[in-house]
Amino acid sequence: MSDLFVVLGVAVITFATRVSFLISPRQAPGGRVGRFLDVFPVALFVAIAVNGLVAPVGSPELTANLFGALGGVIGGIVFRRSVWGVFALGALFFYVARAIIG
Amino acid sequence: MFGGPSFRRGLRDSALIAVAVFLFGLAYGVVAVDAGLSPTLTMLSSFITMSGAAQFAMAGLLVAGPIPVLIAATGLGLRHLPMSARLAEMIGPQPLGTRLRLAFVLVDESFGLTLRAADRGVDDLVAYKSAADLTLYLGWLLGTAGGVWFGSAIDPEAAGIGVLFGLLFLGLAAPMVRSRRDWIVAAISVVATVVATRILPVAWQVTVAATIAAVIGVFIDE
Repeated sequence: MSDLFVVLGVAVITFATRVSFLISPRQAPGGRVGRFLDVFPVALFVAIAVNGLVAPVGSPELTANLFGALGGVIGGIVFRRSVWGVFALGALFFYVARAIIG
Repeated sequence: MFGGPSFRRGLRDSALIAVAVFLFGLAYGVVAVDAGLSPTLTMLSSFITMSGAAQFAMAGLLVAGPIPVLIAATGLGLRHLPMSARLAEMIGPQPLGTRLRLAFVLVDESFGLTLRAADRGVDDLVAYKSAADLTLYLGWLLGTAGGVWFGSAIDPEAAGIGVLFGLLFLGLAAPMVRSRRDWIVAAISVVATVVATRILPVAWQVTVAATIAAVIGVFIDE
């Protein structure tokens, strides 16, 4: 029963945060809040990317992951910031590095 | 809306990301059952939450009891606040049912795709995001089901799923980094995240790092 409570609680909290600004139509905030909203997506996606590449299991691991990151950056340059160029080259570098260094 | 050009584009753009989401769902199904969550509750959590981060945190903290899990979910959910605000700004006035539906699958992947679609001038962002939400949601559910029922044959760490997801978001971030301010914010986010992985619990690392970088970005001119 307590597991059901946890599952329901996580669902409610997650939905509440997602619907926070969508529940009622309102004007987009301006000023500094507006600027924060402009840059937050970049900050968020980079944080998620780095977190997954540096600490995929929650704590830092500096192994084949960094080669994956390097491959991703090179992919971004070579394929002109294509999402799939970054992903494909990064994955290739990661799996090759892991095969070589373990 | 459904079946129109923007909807079809959303299906197309999200298809491969849905494969990655499926793999992540597989990993979640394995991890959740391994952590002691029943197959039924594991599937229920994916049906009603649709949040990899929160669900993985839940599986990881289940033994600690409900309070740590709910605190972690709150910390992870805070990043949805600016996403919700930004999405509301992009879609403009919409019926309540539409806004609630789009909010339900407000995940990092569909948000990133929708931002990119807005930049590229896609006409109907509601249709676009609806299509992306549909494919990602199905991918997540099917992945979770696969993990629950075939979990013993899968090793998510061996498959490098965490790294693949990192690369996916690196790819989503790449086209968004355009101005001088974007580059500075991205660099600060890198540093803040590396530091956060060393000193903060998992549930807070991304949210705190991203918030710090974005707050500093407020004071930087483009």
